[in-house]
Amino acid sequence: MVNISKYKWPLITLVIIIAVLMTMIAIGFTIGILSENPDGLERVLIDNNGESWLENLPSPWIPFLSWIQNEYLAGIIGIVISAVLILSVFYIIKYKRKTIQKEPKNLI
Amino acid sequence: MHIPDGLLDPITIVVLWIITIITMIVGYFKIKKIFEEEESEKIIPYIGVLAAVIFAFQFVNYPVPGGTSGHLVGGTLVAVILGPWASVIVLFLILVVQSLFGDGGITALGANTFNMGIIGGILGFYIVKGLISILNRTSWDKRTKITFATAIGSYIAIVFASFICGIEISIAGAVPFFIAVSAMVFWHLFIGIGEGIISALIVFYIYKSKPEFITTESMLGVK
Repeated sequence: MVNISKYKWPLITLVIIIAVLMTMIAIGFTIGILSENPDGLERVLIDNNGESWLENLPSPWIPFLSWIQNEYLAGIIGIVISAVLILSVFYIIKYKRKTIQKEPKNLI
Repeated sequence: MHIPDGLLDPITIVVLWIITIITMIVGYFKIKKIFEEEESEKIIPYIGVLAAVIFAFQFVNYPVPGGTSGHLVGGTLVAVILGPWASVIVLFLILVVQSLFGDGGITALGANTFNMGIIGGILGFYIVKGLISILNRTSWDKRTKITFATAIGSYIAIVFASFICGIEISIAGAVPFFIAVSAMVFWHLFIGIGEGIISALIVFYIYKSKPEFITTESMLGVK
């Protein structure tokens, strides 16, 4: 079992930071401090090729993912894949750390 | 600076994926020592927190004059806090999650990690280190030296990353070489100001409240 209490403060910090940033983003866009304009790369591409060109770039994933028609389903799949990836990385780190600790430090 | 799918040509994609994978493997062995130490129990969750903070900050688009916008990339910032090799791995993980939500391409992950993690992180770190060695001749305190060097280092790294990104998109034929490079550098000369200020403020705050989280102090050679 994972001892959650050990990670209490990092988790609380994480939730607070995300909440503050999300609020900041929401308020920032509403009052106009933040911008919905294209970023540097998008600006260069739009200036040279037009907005519709950028929006219609050929995606290499269409043959594999064209069966997903619903935006909500796409979002859920994205969240699930993200969670699996992040948990896998943390599992590898934890597993690797245990393996290192079990290895004898000096064989001679 | 997130390159989308379908923009780069296949050779550029493959070459930059190979460079990124090799760098991450080297990076893994370089930061392995962190996981061997008892302190990793405390450090690993904070790596996750830092990755989440950078992920969220990349959605904060501040306006830039001329009808464009910029956001924090965070490569140099992570490198100053966790070290240059860790920054590549952290930025890669952030970009993986972002690509699943349509911000940057999955096939372009290698290129995006190269631009933001390797150039932004590793190159940015060594620019910061170089600046600190110059600032060591002044009577400034450690916090001011690191903060100032992070601001300048982040700025230079982001502008250089935009220069490389310009080359990548021109190789793909999306934009002619001279226009791509000059326009990318031009816009990032403004965007980089935000990058420098935000990175410096975060480093300043961490150094003031929890200086032990700046794990690279000895590597940076700050006196």
